Amino acid sequence: MRRLPIPPRWKKLLQDLRAEKSRLILMLAAIAVSLLAVGAVMGAFAVLSREIGVNYLGTRPASATLEIPAGVDGRVLEVARSQPGIAVAEGRDVLQARARVGEDWRPLLLFVVEDFRALQVNTFTPTAGAWPPPPGGMLVERTAVPVLAAGLGGRVRVRTAHGPGVELPVSGLVHDPGLAPATQERSGYGYIARETLPLLGEPAVLHELRITLADAQAGLPAIEACAAGLAKALEAEGREVHEIRVPPPRQHPHQRQMQTILFMMLAFSFMALGLSGVLVATSLSAMLARQVREIGVMKTLGATASQLAGMYAALVAALGAVAVVAALPAGYGGAQVLAGAIADLLNFTLTARGVPWWVYAVQAAAGILVPLAVAALPIRQATRLSVRQAIERHGASADALGALSPRLPWPLRNALRRPARLALTVVLLAGGGAMFMTALNVSAGWERNVAKVYETRHYDIEVRFHEAQPETVAEAIQGLPGVRAVEAWGYSPSAFSRPGQVDVVRTYPDRGHASFSVMAPPPGTQLIRFPVLAGRWLREDDRDAVVLNHTAAAARPGLRIGDPLNLSLGGKATTWRLAGIVEEIGSPGAAYVTDHAFARLAGTRGRARLLRIATEATTPEVRQHRIRAIERKLAEVGAGVETAWPLAELRTAMADHISILIRSLAAMAVVIATVGALGLSSTMGTSVLERTREFAVMKTLGATPARVTRQVVQEALFMGALSWVAALLLSVPLTAWLDALIGRLGFVAPLPFILSAGPMALWLGILGLVTLAATLLPARRAASLSVAEALVRL
Amino acid sequence: MIQLSHLQKVYSGGQGGFRALADVDLTLPAGEFVAIVGKSGSGKSTLLNLVAGIDRPTSGTVHVAGTPVHALGESALAAWRGRHVGVVFQSFQLLPTLTVLENVMLPMDFCATLPVARARVRAMELLEEVGVADQAPKLPSSLSGGQQQRAAIARALANDPALLVADEPTGNLDSQTAETVVRLLADLARQGKTVLMVTHEKDLSAWADRIVTLADGRVAGQRQTKNQPAGAAAEPSHA
Ligand SMILES: Nc1ncnc2c1ncn2[C@@H]1O[C@H](COP(=O)(O)OP(=O)(O)OP(=O)(O)O)[C@@H](O)[C@H]1O
Ligand SMILES: [Mg+2]
Repeated sequence: MRRLPIPPRWKKLLQDLRAEKSRLILMLAAIAVSLLAVGAVMGAFAVLSREIGVNYLGTRPASATLEIPAGVDGRVLEVARSQPGIAVAEGRDVLQARARVGEDWRPLLLFVVEDFRALQVNTFTPTAGAWPPPPGGMLVERTAVPVLAAGLGGRVRVRTAHGPGVELPVSGLVHDPGLAPATQERSGYGYIARETLPLLGEPAVLHELRITLADAQAGLPAIEACAAGLAKALEAEGREVHEIRVPPPRQHPHQRQMQTILFMMLAFSFMALGLSGVLVATSLSAMLARQVREIGVMKTLGATASQLAGMYAALVAALGAVAVVAALPAGYGGAQVLAGAIADLLNFTLTARGVPWWVYAVQAAAGILVPLAVAALPIRQATRLSVRQAIERHGASADALGALSPRLPWPLRNALRRPARLALTVVLLAGGGAMFMTALNVSAGWERNVAKVYETRHYDIEVRFHEAQPETVAEAIQGLPGVRAVEAWGYSPSAFSRPGQVDVVRTYPDRGHASFSVMAPPPGTQLIRFPVLAGRWLREDDRDAVVLNHTAAAARPGLRIGDPLNLSLGGKATTWRLAGIVEEIGSPGAAYVTDHAFARLAGTRGRARLLRIATEATTPEVRQHRIRAIERKLAEVGAGVETAWPLAELRTAMADHISILIRSLAAMAVVIATVGALGLSSTMGTSVLERTREFAVMKTLGATPARVTRQVVQEALFMGALSWVAALLLSVPLTAWLDALIGRLGFVAPLPFILSAGPMALWLGILGLVTLAATLLPARRAASLSVAEALVRL
Repeated sequence: MIQLSHLQKVYSGGQGGFRALADVDLTLPAGEFVAIVGKSGSGKSTLLNLVAGIDRPTSGTVHVAGTPVHALGESALAAWRGRHVGVVFQSFQLLPTLTVLENVMLPMDFCATLPVARARVRAMELLEEVGVADQAPKLPSSLSGGQQQRAAIARALANDPALLVADEPTGNLDSQTAETVVRLLADLARQGKTVLMVTHEKDLSAWADRIVTLADGRVAGQRQTKNQPAGAAAEPSHA
């Protein structure tokens, strides 16, 4: 025997496959594409989860930081180290400094350490240059190099609250995975030794006591309790503790975003895989419909229903297996790209790129089982038919002709001939369309929300001072050319305080993430107008009224309008009454109070800690020019500027933060549109093929090829239109759900619900094009067959 | 061999359904060539389907060689059919994507009667027997109707069933070809198979050992022809 002894039933299956080549490729492509997405997302998730351990946890992030105004000295460390449950205690400091970049000053977070060689918490690793830096030298985080426009060997002019500014050499670069990338935060990161502080004009004192707990898995309550115990012990020694900072334990500042992004992408990939399964079922049920008579014959020859079901199940499984083989390497590549992009977002260095075996296992299982599960029903139906039913049935007879009314339009009647297949196809297209529209709707909602940053804020420059200034600084700025309006605001970092206890906040060491502050605008401020979600905005005669933005309100669920609220202002507990909640997109938590109430309670001499300035600048260049003029003026009047930055940076930083999400949504929309398009092509191809004989009969009755073609196209368009309507309806709840999910992640509030016409029209267009492409070709072919040829076909 | 008692078949649909077979009692001995005749719609195909286990009776019993066919479950029925009944269709029903040889091998595959290599040998022998061995490697579509029906008979014989049923096996053939096919069936009966054939054509029923006439779903008559199962004369008497 030359040939391998393939049992004839498998031979038959192979031959059938050969006849269905193009449809088979469509099915394969759909499964492979969605499996690729599943593999990429899960692989990225696995790689990143591992790298969080290596990168972020590798820095040994502090469990808690205690702010000690008098400074950390040997005794403080001694007390800390003798506390039960504390593994490590180290003195640190973080200064909000400024760095000269060209003609401008940029924010610079200056991290101060006691001994670079003995770092035990929040560690970072040298990547280039000197380690430790020589006295007077500064290390720079690698992502801060472009922000500071200074690399290894360069010099940066650094100014702090008290000094006149001094040039520090950049003596080395470090990688600090505990910080979000400097490029995203628009701030420089520098590291100096404590002895370098006097050079900058600052006292050589470290104000932060950072501790890690012996129990590495300790939760928030345990950490807070331990830190509070330490604070008590220190206060017993006469060391005041100003504030305790406990960021979410073992959680990178951007980790929740990363997980939500990946979760969402995973959900979309599995939906795409489900759709591919539906596509397989649709195509398979069409194939089975044409084989019904052969199935009957095989049954009379002794084939049992389970033997036949086994044959077709094996076919689907084999299809899935081939798709898995194709998708595994591609999924690995996708995982690398995605993990790399997200690693950048987290400031991680991927130390190992391997994807664990279970990712492949899940891909393989999903690739084979999902199509099998979806195809089980049509297979069951076809193989359970009794022999007589099977033999009596021919080609494209109707499932439910009896239910069809002759009053229905013809294309509709044709589409309804196989209600099961019609339903599957419509589900496939509606699902694909809904996800496509949803992805684009959510993008639009995101854009809309980012636009609110400008719509609710009518200033374009914000200046913060190291210390409160007399309100006359505002007048000095008001006189500058190009300045339309200036307002002097009170401002203070704050905490929800509990009487008799040290304030506990969630702020990360970068002082930005999860921070909370009190803002005191002048009554009747013209420079902000936030939508009121509950209660009311501030009134001039308010004395103890406070308005929270929604981010701050989210931290205190259950708080009602009129409830009392304790806020700590510069270490002093103050009591307020909640007057309202406003939506403030793009800011950390903030509490708004009137400026006179703030000045009275904060005890500041002047009221101005913050200037908000509206200029006539329309370009970044002009605005930068204005900022320089403002800085010169402030230097003249002797006001120490902490930061001065354009509002535009807020928007860019925000867009950067989760722009990857929007891009991934768009990528998912493309994957799903592809699967949907493949599905429609497959169904239409099938339905044309099935009716070749019918078309021949029509032609013997005098129908022209054009007429036959028109009928097929009309039928496909009907299906497309039906699915479009269904997709539209389905996209409504889906958009609302994703808006809520992504909004909470990015803005602590749902995204505005937008059903944009663009994506609807776009999907309609795609459907139309695919429909025409998928039907015109086979219909032409069918129409051009001679009658005799066509009759032979079936 | 075949024992039908109180056999009824009612097709559902319409008001109260349609009674295609009404109380059929019939006993047919083994090794006979039986022709079933009757007007269109008299229930011939229905009867054949019930005997072959292709369809189920509404009531009554079907015993073939002692097996209660009416009582078998779907899988058991399929297995029984594959092993004990050979079915020949009017329109041949060879699977178009398999070669003639592979078509004949198929029942042996489904019933796991022989391994592939030996099934191939047996299939060739059967094709030889029905006289189309030279067509073995071809696809059915390139065979003539008569050749296809011979191949289909070879396929029906694959698992060496004791019973062969054929519903108008000659309906799609010209009269000359039809005669050779019926002669083949008669030969098989002579070799010991029980052959049940539905036919419209008087000429052909003359080849049978026994003729059963159906009318309105009942057995209207039954007679033995002069052909003797063991008889030497192969020519039917044109009575
Ligand atoms: N699936 C079915 N549903 C309803 N009625 C049926 C069905 N099959 C057959 N019948 C009816 O049962 C009766 C007997 O049909 P059957 O096919 O057995 O007749 P027949 O003797 O083989 O006729 P013919 O010589 O035309 O083949 C007919 O009146 C037919 O209309
Ligand atoms: Mg009949």
